[in-house]
Amino acid sequence: MLFLSFWLLGIVLIVLQTTLMQSLPLWLGRPDFLFILVTFIAYRFAWVPGIVLVFTLGWVMDVLVGLYLGFYPLMCLFTFAALKFLTNKSPIKESTYQIPLVGLSYFLVQIILYCVYSLALPEELPEWSWGITLQRTALQVAAAIPLILLCSSLYDFLLKHRLRTKPARRRPRKPM
Amino acid sequence: MRKKTKAIQGRSIYGTIRILILVVILGIVGLLLLASMLGGRFGTPHQLTLDFIGPMQSAVTRSLSGIVSLKDDYIALWNVRAENKRLQALVDKYLKELGEYREGYSTNLHLEELLAFKDKLSFQPLAARVVGKEPAYWYQTIVVDRGRKDDVMEGMIVLAPSGVVGQIIHTADHYSKVLLANAPSSAIDAMIQKNRTRGILKGAGEHGYVLEYVLKNADVEEGDYIVTAGIGGVFPAGIPLGRVSKIHQKKRGMFQEIEVQPSVDFQKLEFVFIDPTDRRKILDSANLSPGR
Repeated sequence: MLFLSFWLLGIVLIVLQTTLMQSLPLWLGRPDFLFILVTFIAYRFAWVPGIVLVFTLGWVMDVLVGLYLGFYPLMCLFTFAALKFLTNKSPIKESTYQIPLVGLSYFLVQIILYCVYSLALPEELPEWSWGITLQRTALQVAAAIPLILLCSSLYDFLLKHRLRTKPARRRPRKPM
Repeated sequence: MRKKTKAIQGRSIYGTIRILILVVILGIVGLLLLASMLGGRFGTPHQLTLDFIGPMQSAVTRSLSGIVSLKDDYIALWNVRAENKRLQALVDKYLKELGEYREGYSTNLHLEELLAFKDKLSFQPLAARVVGKEPAYWYQTIVVDRGRKDDVMEGMIVLAPSGVVGQIIHTADHYSKVLLANAPSSAIDAMIQKNRTRGILKGAGEHGYVLEYVLKNADVEEGDYIVTAGIGGVFPAGIPLGRVSKIHQKKRGMFQEIEVQPSVDFQKLEFVFIDPTDRRKILDSANLSPGR
């Protein structure tokens, strides 16, 4: 249920990102909702469901917008794995750090992507601008605040719901 | 001890399965990624994914365009409303201006007519503006803005381009009162223009005039012009008075009664001309009394 709900949420976010957000004025910016969801999945989900979620959602995004197929899911998986390693059994996993970490990871991914592009496709390398990268990062952080809150609420709600529906295990009474 | 060993064994099996699943998933993911990246072909999985997401995108885009269209229509409606208000204000302004221009044009025509009349007259008339009216049946007077200071005297006749207006009856320094020709107390020597048949034109108030003392056998028809006869010395001959509007043939008596429609619209008088000839003096010198 948890997995399916977040998968559906991911699909909705992808659809919104590729439709609604594109029709908004340019000055409002276009945050990457999927990236934020990937970071959330890295914080809360285990490895196996996390990889499946991130890969499938990355796949869908790749199919919809990717120019070189496979690049986007790889980037999502890389972000997921890096955050998972970083936050595993670490205080960084706490909610206080979650939002700044979204910004930091997004910023680093932009730099890494630029490096990868410069190596793999130097002819298609866009002009690097620290200003634009920082601006996009700031927008990503701003968009992450409500989205992470929404995801956290949904996650907690579904978790409580699952705990309620599971029958409690009773220990057999010891004979007096 | 056995239970503990069993639990440890269970955990290790569960852990092994998890690792196996992870490995399998990673393998599948890796394979798919490799297939995607190295193949570079938009294969069946990609097509299926696109077919799955496409309708959702289409639905959202359509809804969005519907909302945007609604918003645009709403904003357009606001703009239309504002434009309508602006245009309405313009129409009001132009209508007002048009009214002023019409009035100006009408005044111009009227003044041109007056000027032409003034030029036509044998005497040098004194133009006067009608400043007050008393159109009550018994009085039928108007006040003009010329008085003794302008050499206006009682007994002078007042004309308009279309005909006789009346006669000055009272004068002040700057204003004078004119008895209209259609006043019940007014009587003018008149004649039917076409055959010079004479009669007395009496004022009938709002009904205009009544031409009296015209013989029954006189040739008179509706539409005939009535002009001043010039007898009595007050009005010169040939000034229009009106047109025959109705003829009453009385059973008894010698005369017929003729209703005359005044040529002057007394309700619309704005400017009049005063003949400055001192007719009373002329009459006095000729030992004639006024013909009114």
